[in-house]
Amino acid sequence: MRFQFIVDEILIGLRRNIAMAISVVLVTVVSLFLVGLGFLAQRQVDTMKDYWYDRVQVSIFLCGDGSTAAGCADGKATEAQKEQIQADLAAPQLAAYVDKVYFETQDEAFKHFKEQFKDSALSENVTVDQMPESYRVDLKNPEQYQVVAELFTDKPGVETVESQNEVLDRLFALLNQLKLGAWMLAAVTLICSVLLVATTIRLTAFTRRRETGIMRLVGASNFFIQLPFILESMIAAAVGAGLASVALVGVTKFQIQDRLAQSLTFTNYVGVGDALMVVPWLFVIGLGIAGVSAFLALQRYLKV
Amino acid sequence: MIRFDDVTKVYPGSKHPALNSISLEVSKGEFVFMVGASGSGKSTFLRLALREEKATKGVVRVSGKDVAKLSTWKVPHLRRTIGAVFQDFRLLPNKTVFENVAFALQVIGKPRHAIAHTVPEVLELVGLAGKEQRFPHELSGGEQQRVAIARAFVNRPAILLADEPTGNLDPNTSVGIMRLLDRINKTGTTIVMATHDHEIVNQMRKRVIELEHGNMLRDEVAGVYGYSR
Ligand SMILES: Nc1ncnc2c1ncn2[C@@H]1O[C@H](COP(=O)(O)OP(=O)(O)OP(=O)(O)O)[C@@H](O)[C@H]1O
Ligand SMILES: [Mg+2]
Repeated sequence: MRFQFIVDEILIGLRRNIAMAISVVLVTVVSLFLVGLGFLAQRQVDTMKDYWYDRVQVSIFLCGDGSTAAGCADGKATEAQKEQIQADLAAPQLAAYVDKVYFETQDEAFKHFKEQFKDSALSENVTVDQMPESYRVDLKNPEQYQVVAELFTDKPGVETVESQNEVLDRLFALLNQLKLGAWMLAAVTLICSVLLVATTIRLTAFTRRRETGIMRLVGASNFFIQLPFILESMIAAAVGAGLASVALVGVTKFQIQDRLAQSLTFTNYVGVGDALMVVPWLFVIGLGIAGVSAFLALQRYLKV
Repeated sequence: MIRFDDVTKVYPGSKHPALNSISLEVSKGEFVFMVGASGSGKSTFLRLALREEKATKGVVRVSGKDVAKLSTWKVPHLRRTIGAVFQDFRLLPNKTVFENVAFALQVIGKPRHAIAHTVPEVLELVGLAGKEQRFPHELSGGEQQRVAIARAFVNRPAILLADEPTGNLDPNTSVGIMRLLDRINKTGTTIVMATHDHEIVNQMRKRVIELEHGNMLRDEVAGVYGYSR
């Protein structure tokens, strides 16, 4: 009885306020979609960090013939200098940073170069002598490449220290900014949806003041009077969260996986699995916000 | 049943009290008329008993309980023991007679079979048998007030408060409503009725309490509407 009655009341309410219900749904869709994008951007940064930092090395290039760097005053790096560098890399104070060290000979460097540029005219003109020797250092925490870089720059026998990290740092800074932007837009639209839910409740409370007045008079509990309002906004929010989830999964599948991942292959991307992990959060946030703002609005507009 | 001890009500933003140090007691099964000029505080008295308003000073007791001390979630339970009827009927226009009365039971969580049983009974009592499926706009004013009384009485409250229930009705129809209220009173229900209707008060010869500017002017057993008027 009670249940059937509440369901009927809610359906009547939704039908009577269909335009408001739709607007609540739409604002919820947009804000939750942005929240989802924020989450996905975060996942994307993490994915890229995993992907790239696995592949990142610090390369300590040694002086060759004709190097002009500060550390190359003695010309081509000597065996003694190499030993010194190797010893420094193995020193206990670097043990916390350095994972593995490889030595790349001129022959190996030449081979890699040929492979990398095999379709280019560049590879025709280089000789083995022109290739630098180098130490390739795998780091335990790739984000701390600076420590190693500073230690070996301008050391005797070292021409330059290089790492892809500088590029990556800039890339991640950009992605972080995008993420922040998504969060901020999400926050603004979430505030909109809170205000809209409150306004909707106020209007609904007004159009239903006859019913609620009678309910109060005959002794319906506050909970019973307020429940239809709260449920209505939660239903609208749930529909919104559902649509936002579909949109989010759709974007990951069709825009990111089927298009972006096919055309820009330099990294991996967030997948449908990541999007699905975000979905429950969209429902939690959507329903939570609708429920709380409905409750607060009722305290103001539906005095019992 | 209802007891006011030195009750004063001053509405926020107004200087003069709507009720001024009122002390009175209405016993179980009594029928009381509240009379007095417009603005004398009759509705205020009823609203205080319903706890729609709180007294500024003094104690309002209903069924022995100080209503000011009731927590918010207990107020509905107080109201389930009080029926209320108004001049403007307050029916839901999109519900039938049956549904209007059933509404009062649905919203307090009464089971369906109990509703199916009690609603026709009370409609019979108020003389609306056969009109269950009509909508309010298909009824006369007197019939609409009967629906409102049925709704107020369907839960068998111990107290019925009526605020000018005949205010919108012609004299003949009013007499019919008064008979009905008298019948309900005879079942043991305490009734307090605010009214401006001389004839009814003079005919019924019940207890009369007269208010003037929030003060109690007289309280008479088997009184009349007023001597000067
Ligand atoms: N909600 C309110 N806020 C402020 N003042 C009010 C409010 N309700 C009533 N009053 C004032 O309280 C006084 C008593 O009003 P009340 O409604 O109790 O009178 P009444 O005897 O019922 O009058 P009537 O016969 O016209 O119905 C009046 O002066 C009125 O203006
Ligand atoms: Mg009044």
